[in-house]
Amino acid sequence: MLGVLALLGALLCATMIRFAPGYGADERELDSRLSQESRDAIRSEYGATETLPHYYRRYVSGLLRGNLGTSVFLQRPVAQLLWERAPLTARTVGFGLLAAWIGSSILGLLAIRFPNAMLNYSAMALTGFLIALPAAVIALLFVFWRAPVFLGIALVTFPKLYRYQHNLLTQAQSQPFAFAARTRGVSENRILFRHVIPLVWAPVLALVGVSSSMAFGAAIPLEALSDSPGMGQLAWQAALNRDLPLLTSITLCVTVLTVGVNFLADAIGQRKSS
Amino acid sequence: MWPSLRPAILLLAVNFAASSHAQAPAELHFCLHGEPKTFNPLLVDDEASENIRYLTGGVLIRVNRQTQALEPGLAESWRVSPDGRQITFQLRKGIYFSDGSRFSSEDVAYTMRLLMDPQTHSATGDAFRSGSGTVVVKTPSPYIAVVTFPAPVAGMERLFDQVAILSAKSPKKEQSVLGPYYVSEYKAGSYVLLRRNPNYWRHDAQGRQLPYIDTVRLDIQRNRDIEMMRFRRGELQLVNRVDAQQFDELKKENPAAARNAGTGLDGEELWFNQAASSTLPDFKKKWFQSTDFRRAVSLAINREDLARVVFAGYATPAFGPVSPSNQFWFNAKLPAPKHDPKAALALIAGAGFQLQNGTLKDSMGNRVEFTLITNSGNAAREKMATMIQQDLSDIGISVKVVTLDFPSLIERITRTFDYDACLLGLVNTDLDPNSQMTVWLSSGENHQWNPNQQTPATAWEAEIDQLMREETSLANEKLRKAKFDRVQEIVAEQQPFIYLVNKNALSAVSAQVIGASPVALNPQTFWNIDTLRLDPTQQIGSKQ
Amino acid sequence: MIQRVFRGVSWSILAIVFACTLFAEGFTHYPYARQFRELPNAAPSTIHLLGTDDLGRDLFARVVYGTRVSLLLAPAAALLATAIAAVLGGLAGLRGGRLESLILACADLLMSLPLLFVLIALRAFLPLGISPLLSVVATFVTLGLLGWPSSLRVVCAASRNLRQSDHMLLARATGYSNTQLLFRQVIPNLRPIFLAQFWISIPLFILTEATLSMLGLGVMEPLPSWGNLLRGCEDFGAMSANPWRLVPLLLLVITVICFQLILHSSEEPA
Repeated sequence: MLGVLALLGALLCATMIRFAPGYGADERELDSRLSQESRDAIRSEYGATETLPHYYRRYVSGLLRGNLGTSVFLQRPVAQLLWERAPLTARTVGFGLLAAWIGSSILGLLAIRFPNAMLNYSAMALTGFLIALPAAVIALLFVFWRAPVFLGIALVTFPKLYRYQHNLLTQAQSQPFAFAARTRGVSENRILFRHVIPLVWAPVLALVGVSSSMAFGAAIPLEALSDSPGMGQLAWQAALNRDLPLLTSITLCVTVLTVGVNFLADAIGQRKSS
Repeated sequence: MWPSLRPAILLLAVNFAASSHAQAPAELHFCLHGEPKTFNPLLVDDEASENIRYLTGGVLIRVNRQTQALEPGLAESWRVSPDGRQITFQLRKGIYFSDGSRFSSEDVAYTMRLLMDPQTHSATGDAFRSGSGTVVVKTPSPYIAVVTFPAPVAGMERLFDQVAILSAKSPKKEQSVLGPYYVSEYKAGSYVLLRRNPNYWRHDAQGRQLPYIDTVRLDIQRNRDIEMMRFRRGELQLVNRVDAQQFDELKKENPAAARNAGTGLDGEELWFNQAASSTLPDFKKKWFQSTDFRRAVSLAINREDLARVVFAGYATPAFGPVSPSNQFWFNAKLPAPKHDPKAALALIAGAGFQLQNGTLKDSMGNRVEFTLITNSGNAAREKMATMIQQDLSDIGISVKVVTLDFPSLIERITRTFDYDACLLGLVNTDLDPNSQMTVWLSSGENHQWNPNQQTPATAWEAEIDQLMREETSLANEKLRKAKFDRVQEIVAEQQPFIYLVNKNALSAVSAQVIGASPVALNPQTFWNIDTLRLDPTQQIGSKQ
Repeated sequence: MIQRVFRGVSWSILAIVFACTLFAEGFTHYPYARQFRELPNAAPSTIHLLGTDDLGRDLFARVVYGTRVSLLLAPAAALLATAIAAVLGGLAGLRGGRLESLILACADLLMSLPLLFVLIALRAFLPLGISPLLSVVATFVTLGLLGWPSSLRVVCAASRNLRQSDHMLLARATGYSNTQLLFRQVIPNLRPIFLAQFWISIPLFILTEATLSMLGLGVMEPLPSWGNLLRGCEDFGAMSANPWRLVPLLLLVITVICFQLILHSSEEPA
């Protein structure tokens, strides 16, 4: 199921790229030294004469053999490019997400457990301010301060995560059962940990998928603007240059990751709630 | 005890922090503006690969970037036959590749054969292709190579500046080089590390082997703002092609580092779509094909403002395809560009256009409006387009500016011809206009305003075709120049390309580098890399 | 009490900003496109309240008109995205099973498509002759049509929770059809969540537009927008020399914070 979906995503992306205007046009064509044969060779690199079903077949069969094609723009095998750059992005996004989740969970639980107005408002102010900064501006600030990119991703994801979590927790806290428990004298800790959290567990887990996509989405402008040689920058360059093999494979990877993470989150959530 | 140690510890910490910014003194550190697409010198077609080729490749004839004159490289001397088809090289003796294999005429033969092989699809090779037929290379002795072309090649000698000689026999192929450096490490997306070639043939006047600098680190950095920031921090020692606004700021901070080599070779130009096969409505085609219309637009554009506002004064108004810094080919007799909206209106009135309530209308009552496309991501070009928009609105023409990504732009200007006007820049690597044949010939693919014509659409284009064909078959440079001068005059009269500005060649050189004298030709700051020296005692950082 | 103060302040700030954008012509002296080429990068003065940008255009006028673009179009895009998420998410959570998996799978698929590429392609598709305003509208509509997956999962999870609640069982027992359940029970009950998503999305779209402009995919010249105005921030040297250039960023941040404060206040329990 996962595989089918990922493949579907990749092929959809490929179709889009193939039929978008500008496919197959390379800036080398503006070089006035080139002979007609060289120009034809450049055009054939893009396979613009290939029909779409043929391309699908070729791509899938290549995929099964582990060959993801060759990037036209960078003139190197796609698999190699992804292999080189994936660790950097994985580390950045991974650490960023981890930092964001730890920060938002701790802050969220504190804000609910100790509903102090000051704490609440400062948390809201901080997250509000951070949400209000465009990802690009955060990227530039991080470049200027020479701070690691993963903190940038954390900063972009943390405030939204915190807000979502806070919404869910406050909603759950204000449910009738919580009031009832409070009047019966059950401690706040017990209410929080034994009743509220199990209730919001599932929707919060749903956020894992959303936050991963947010983080990946933020990775692109962050890496592009800070010139960090990860997959985000690769994806941006590929998009700008209509690099079909590269962009298809990147979409494949991203779909696998997003769908995979969501599946996992759903599975855990459903197991918990049943 | 502790209080007295604290300042010492602090001092140590500060020193450590400072020195951790320092470079190893023998390493030159600067950036490539993109990922090098190839390390094979024959296949080079982008700036980053070209820079690497310059640093690692040995060539037979070198164009001195400062004097623009030819210098002996691996060839001690050479002779071109009177018919322009044959060149005989007398090669230097006792030269070895970086891996130890001996350099001889066999390597020249191997390189030329590979270069001219149509399967190689080399842009450098295509520049030599003046006629069909094979190129024959004879090697009567290990130190004499004779290259014969099927037809005369105009400006042949200069083209050899781009041919890096490969080793015919070495198992290391392209990695075995004759230039000052060889590629030691390459981390994709990050950096390229070059180390000195132990067998480099050049020595200084005292007999010491060049280059002086042992290693060169080239970081791959696309973002120019980050690059300048790193230069200011002392991490980089050279920056090529500095953006005009950043140069302005650098000049205020550190005047010694900001180097202005004068007018460069690069220019910006605007042209109208005159292709007969385009899908534009007929009345628009009539406008764009009218010489008076184009000349009026040219008169209405304020080039001085463009140079002053967009490039902070580091550009000069341009009126022709050749920049004044191209000393030999520039036609000094061309008229200077003028800014005169009234004259523009008078000229265009003669073609039937009329200004009504601030809107220009043609003889049939259509409002004169068109879209100007340019590529996104180039701030200077977008600003120029916006300024041209206002200039033309002063004579009643309404212009919409659309920035497109490069592939869609290229598709529109080379295939679908679905555009009105386009604003792009020229990057000239070659001084000789012969490499721009496909731009000037009406049948050429790069004849941007109306490419791939079966027969010339206008009399002046036919005249240009004739002149360019004559020019390419002549061997005498002065005669060639006379022909091309006339081409430049026609272009100035007809304005198929409306040339806007020639940008200055701006670069930044750190105080640690000794011997740098940046020039207008690529590669601006490190053209004389083998004689550059590093002085580690100079203070790191921007303040002197 | 203090919440009411915050809410009041936020509403007033937003009202002022809205009024400024609606009556922009009355506030600004100079048109946003006019270039005063003798005065590029001028400092704030009595003639030009916020100085001029690098082409000599009055920055105050550009900020006011730019606010119009961002502030009027982002809510529209947010409304579109939330509406789609509401219907699809509510349905998915309500029905469960295969339909839910299908809808969630579609959402995942859409989320993993390279958004930037879609926008680049959209730009290239649009005919060249359309006005800058139309191209901006098209961009925001696309953002709305592509922006629903992130809200979907939250809506779906909440709807799933609702499905298992008592009054839903009752409603089902009384014989409501699925459509009636969706529109009569699920959507009204999830209204707080929708409102939350809507308010969260507005600044999100404003910011996405800002980031896109900074990457070069934004509004056509000479139309200003916040993102467009923030492009100047890329040049650090210029920023420190001309700190008033940060005014658009400040305005963006304040507006977004106001949105947050209103949302936060409106969802406090009575």
